[in-house]
Amino acid sequence: MLSRADRPRAAGEWLLRIVVVAILGWYLVHVLWTRSHGAAETAASAELSPALARWTTTSTPAWVHVVLAHPPAGLYRDWLAALAGAGTAVEWSGPTLLPTAIAVDPRPDPARDADVDVAAPPGAMVRVLDTLGGLDSARATAAGIRVHLPKPRRTVDAAVGPVRARAASPDSLRLGRLLVVGGAGWETKFTVAALEERGWTVDAQIAVSPKGDVRQGKVDELDTARYAAVIAIDTIAARYGDRIASFVRSGGGLVLWVPVARIRALAPLAAGGAGAPIESSDEPPSDSLPRAGLALVPITPLAPDAVVLERRGDQTAVAARRIGAGRVIETGYLDTWRWRMAGGDEAPERHRAWLATLVARVAYAGRVPLPPPPTDAAPLATLVDKLGPAASPLQAGAGGDPAALARWVFGLLCGALLIEWASRRTRGVK
Amino acid sequence: MSQFVFATAEYASGDWESAPALAENLIDSLARYTSIDVAPVGVNVKVGSNELYDYPFVWLTGHLPVRFTDDERRNIKRYVERGGFLMVDDHNHDITGVFHKTATEEIERLFGKMTRLPKDHELYRAFFVFEDGPPNTHHELNGYGDDLLHKYLDAVIVNGRIGLLYSSKDYSSEWNFHADTKRFMQQDPTKFGVNLIVYALTR
Repeated sequence: MLSRADRPRAAGEWLLRIVVVAILGWYLVHVLWTRSHGAAETAASAELSPALARWTTTSTPAWVHVVLAHPPAGLYRDWLAALAGAGTAVEWSGPTLLPTAIAVDPRPDPARDADVDVAAPPGAMVRVLDTLGGLDSARATAAGIRVHLPKPRRTVDAAVGPVRARAASPDSLRLGRLLVVGGAGWETKFTVAALEERGWTVDAQIAVSPKGDVRQGKVDELDTARYAAVIAIDTIAARYGDRIASFVRSGGGLVLWVPVARIRALAPLAAGGAGAPIESSDEPPSDSLPRAGLALVPITPLAPDAVVLERRGDQTAVAARRIGAGRVIETGYLDTWRWRMAGGDEAPERHRAWLATLVARVAYAGRVPLPPPPTDAAPLATLVDKLGPAASPLQAGAGGDPAALARWVFGLLCGALLIEWASRRTRGVK
Repeated sequence: MSQFVFATAEYASGDWESAPALAENLIDSLARYTSIDVAPVGVNVKVGSNELYDYPFVWLTGHLPVRFTDDERRNIKRYVERGGFLMVDDHNHDITGVFHKTATEEIERLFGKMTRLPKDHELYRAFFVFEDGPPNTHHELNGYGDDLLHKYLDAVIVNGRIGLLYSSKDYSSEWNFHADTKRFMQQDPTKFGVNLIVYALTR
């Protein structure tokens, strides 16, 4: 007969015996289930390749978790996805990985320049590089970063921490010709010269006298099959007003100098009207602020849908807008040839590049798809697409190692039996 | 947009001002035959100064030896390479004369050997058509100077365009007449001058 004091201890001993039997039962079920369904395993980035080979051939884990220091290469990403498709629960985590994506857009420019857009979390340091090394770096804003690259190689990378995204231009551009329309004058001459030096094929219709024009090249019908853009320098463009308007609405580009905005047929296309002229400075244009001293007719008032691209002080110097399928850019600078002739050592090159940028922003270009090289434009997004979102690292460590689990079970059993045995012995029961 | 201003090159050596009436005759022809917005009066521009870059067409002539200063050489090279058009005319009409020898020496020192301009070059069709290349001058036909008919002009070509044109034909004498004389002429001799300027403005 148990004494009143021994009853709770005896009940505790029974409870411990039940716990031991329950743990043994649970562990038996767990071992049998694992033998039939496979084990749970983890791997880090460095050992992913051999782990994948093992998981696919010699072991069949029910659940795997990969701790990523960097996004896996496409091969391993696909392999993990295939593993998931074959029935293994695949989880991943990578707390240091930042979502990064890159896109390369070729500019309509014979110099084969391109714009590179990188999306990354605001504040992240983005490095743009190619196979030969670093090209640029910047801290991402809410809109990511945009980099202009002269003659980029076939693929361009963006590196944000351990994440490296790679993209290639999807298309090659088929550029038409340019048509320059203007009177005989230095602005027309140097605009044609600069664009030809840049690599454009330029047709020109230059008014010289009431009896005739000087034509350069084969001035054809205005359509996007032939021309990428029209450059209208002065009011001579009035002769082509309706044709230019039709060309732009069908997708062609138009670069117009602000006096052209006064032409009745072209005024509806202009980004804005012409303000009060500001005379040029007597100082030669500097390399640092080359357009600061040029004569300027501010673009005002702006069309409601116009976008300001460049200001000088509080005046609008360059503005753009869309018209139908085409784009129009209007510059308020006059006599930009003075920049090329009288500017610093880099003036001719920079004047060329500036004009080429104006043209590239509006020029129509046919696109020819290129065979894609191996790229990985958004590695983290692709990983999420294939494997689902990342698991938390805490969850990742739980219950993964069968040996650790066995140690825990053994420890619990020993502890429970020892307490039960000690309890019995101290109250004198064998 | 800026007007076309006829500029005469003022260089440190020689007699740069030897054809004072040439500018007004070419300006008159330009206004007469074309719709180009031309300034009624020409300017003289110092070759060694930065003002040179304000005038992408410059006429340079003389009889005497030409020795450019370092500033003049630097400016001429830069001017031509940037797209300016420098017309150099031998006022002596004499390839054994001092102007020709020294001027061509200076030019070739800066740009290397000049290119002979073919008779079908677009310069000869830029406005008026000159089927036989550069028109002859009375000085050539009358046997002055070297007593030769120069059939070609020489040029420095930059990016496919004429940057410097050298003439031994003495257009400086041919076009340096009193302005009133033109109305008595059966043919206007300055028409080729119009081609030079139209070419410079459109190519």
